[in-house]
Amino acid sequence: MILRLVDVTFRYPGARDDALAGVSLNVAPGEFYAVLGPNGSGKTTLIRVALGAAARVGSAEILGRPVGAWSRRELARLVAVVAQREDNLFPQRVRETVLLGRYPHLSLWGGARAADRAAVDRALAVCDAGHLADRWIWSLSGGEYQRVRVARALAQEPRLLMLDEPGVSLDVRHEMELFELVRGLVDRSELAVVMVTHHTNLAARFADRVLLLAGGRAVAGGAPQDVLTRATVERVFAWPVALQQFDGRPQIVPLRQSRS
Amino acid sequence: MVALAIGAATTALLLGPVPLADLRGTGIVWDLRAPRAVLGFLVGGSLAVAGAGLQALVRNPLADPFLLGLSGGAALGAVVAIAFDVAGAWALPLAAFAGALVALVLVYRMALAGGGALDPRILLLGGVAVGAFAAAVTTAIVSLAEATELRNAFLWLWGGLATASWDTVLVVAIYVPLPLAVIAAAARPLDLLVLGDEPAGYLGADVERVRRRVYVAASLLTAAAVAVSGVIGFIGLIVPHIGRLVWGHRHRALLPASFVGGGTLLVLADTVARTIVAPRELPVGIVTALIGVPLFVLLLRRWTIT
Amino acid sequence: MRSAVAQAHLAGLVFALALAGACRPAADRSPAGLVTVTDDAGRAVTLDTAARRVVSLLPSFTELLFAIGAGDRLVGRTTWCDWPPEARRIQSVGDGLPPNIEAVAARRPDLVVLYRSGPNVTAAEQLERLGIATALFDLNQLEDLGPAARRLGVLTGRIASGDALARVLDSVVAQRPQPLGPTSQSLVFVVWDNPPIVIGAGSYLDRLAALAGARNVFHDIPTPSAQVSIETIAARDPDVVALLSDTAARPAWAGRREWRAVRAVRDGRFLYLPGTLFGRPGPRAAAAVRELRRRLAVVGTVP
Repeated sequence: MILRLVDVTFRYPGARDDALAGVSLNVAPGEFYAVLGPNGSGKTTLIRVALGAAARVGSAEILGRPVGAWSRRELARLVAVVAQREDNLFPQRVRETVLLGRYPHLSLWGGARAADRAAVDRALAVCDAGHLADRWIWSLSGGEYQRVRVARALAQEPRLLMLDEPGVSLDVRHEMELFELVRGLVDRSELAVVMVTHHTNLAARFADRVLLLAGGRAVAGGAPQDVLTRATVERVFAWPVALQQFDGRPQIVPLRQSRS
Repeated sequence: MVALAIGAATTALLLGPVPLADLRGTGIVWDLRAPRAVLGFLVGGSLAVAGAGLQALVRNPLADPFLLGLSGGAALGAVVAIAFDVAGAWALPLAAFAGALVALVLVYRMALAGGGALDPRILLLGGVAVGAFAAAVTTAIVSLAEATELRNAFLWLWGGLATASWDTVLVVAIYVPLPLAVIAAAARPLDLLVLGDEPAGYLGADVERVRRRVYVAASLLTAAAVAVSGVIGFIGLIVPHIGRLVWGHRHRALLPASFVGGGTLLVLADTVARTIVAPRELPVGIVTALIGVPLFVLLLRRWTIT
Repeated sequence: MRSAVAQAHLAGLVFALALAGACRPAADRSPAGLVTVTDDAGRAVTLDTAARRVVSLLPSFTELLFAIGAGDRLVGRTTWCDWPPEARRIQSVGDGLPPNIEAVAARRPDLVVLYRSGPNVTAAEQLERLGIATALFDLNQLEDLGPAARRLGVLTGRIASGDALARVLDSVVAQRPQPLGPTSQSLVFVVWDNPPIVIGAGSYLDRLAALAGARNVFHDIPTPSAQVSIETIAARDPDVVALLSDTAARPAWAGRREWRAVRAVRDGRFLYLPGTLFGRPGPRAAAAVRELRRRLAVVGTVP
């Protein structure tokens, strides 16, 4: 087990309610796990807890050790996160920003070695962003930039990759490319992926397992066809839907409100 | 770059308000010009490194060491020392340093959002607020007190290396290596901080600890600079940007480059300030702006063309 | 036959005219006893009779007024006006920087004498609006003393004393500076240490030094004061460092290492000049020159 969350309950300081209540999650190597749910259901909080935000109740373990027992650097060598937002204050080139992903591997005073540069090149190649290596970040399109961020995460050479809503503001082509990329990574290596996304249908098609959250609670977890039933989806998303099958996976079609 | 620094140092020794030939046989070059060049290098370098660290820390390219309220605190300390006629050759720098430290502690406490994390926005806003408050109190003291000398006290604040001697250099040279080392050790985390607190944490940076350490170290450097040489603006703001344009953003290269660049700029500016209207002298802060702005504009154009 | 309303209107009109007549400014009255001078702001200062209640907003004017025998007319002075000792008995109207209009007006003066500077011009305008006559005089150089004395004499009705004092002061001005011989000393006037500010040729102190037979090493700087490097001071190697100080205490900065590059600081050859005599041009200028000469002769011999 790469990541184990057991009965995690978490509340932000000063908040009235728990952001997560009694949530459990097991992620094995080579598994693509999607986390779904309506806005505010605690998806981003899940990532934070997995990476060390202290839960009030319950435990989070990475590779069998409690998250708090790992130092930040050690953790960064195991788990890579593509967060929802990042700042881009100073103009940088793609290669430089991907190199930041190697920092958990660099010693305090040592510089970037050939091995590090090779890792950067590999990561860029895997993400099909090798041709972007010398471009300025600000000149990239949204899709290209996301690929670069994934490359940076891969440069960390993690065993677990977590992505928080990576497809937001990407068009059809770029979003599909992203999902294909992640699926390919999982298939080709032992990399485990946890992806928080609101794109339920794509998650259903590409992920191995799905966790559905609502109001901080885990509603259902498991294979997509087991979790995404019509009754469950309608209850969680509070909207009438029809279910169809595509590629052997359930696809949700939201229905229009009946006119009176 | 280093060649430039050596060139600047040599010029500072050779040029001055008094022609070198006239100084032969006196100890002036050794007693006055040499320590002045060394002090200028140390102060300029420290200000530039403090500026670079702060800009990464608060994620704002317009951050400047003097935005932290330290110069206001230092001015207040100095004015209090003069108003109360505190005796001693080191009274003024020590009082200014103490004033700056008080400002540092105030802003630090303000910015502790609770839980040990320094909020960068509050650092900036708090710094401006503390600085403004200190300036108001300073002005009140100056207008109420009877000593006319207090008005002269403000001249000191405009910046200058007049107090340069080997004694001063010794004190500064012992003091600055530690804060400089702290900021240098934070070079990697500072690279990561640019992405944002959360992404930096995910890449292994201990954001809270780095922020505290770099803020205190940068403030200590700035406090010492103000105590010894008043407010020499512009170096902490512009030299890191020039460094980035030439050497890129990685702090491992940027910090040393800023140190050398800031030191060189200040030594050059001081040489100009001493010689251009000889026998009179211009406040150094004016010259740093006059040299630095065109330099920056030049580099900026080169950068936007590529 | 007039209606009651018309009568009321007429009464009102007469009343208004009477008021207007009473409020006419003094200058409209008949010119008998009129006193008038032109001040240094180019204004004609006119009083219908010699001033009886004068407020002086500069120590030098206070000294001049006492010197011409008009001290008994003074009803207000600044906190800085400390000479002659009798001046301290006069009520203070504040430090004068800038002038406190209310305090000045509360003394009910018929003349206020001010030093001509930006803020004072504004203060003078405010006082004029209150109906108080003001005079703005320059007093930066020795040359300004004679004309000021003369005009103050006219304004206070002490014309003869004013003229006499003016003649004495003008003769001090006309004195040729003492020729610089081998025994004359060189000095530097240090006003501030950080940054170093020295006195140049445009100032009163420089003039006094020349009259006393000493050479100001910064006489080549045309402005009254200027910022210089310690290096320049050290290179010009003055014999004496002169300071405006009421005590004979070694200044704190003399202990600093960078100042020890100046020979006069190393050897402790300081000249302490009391502010009330040397800090500003005044009627005691001649005495100041003599005193300076005397002190230069003994500097360094007194520890």
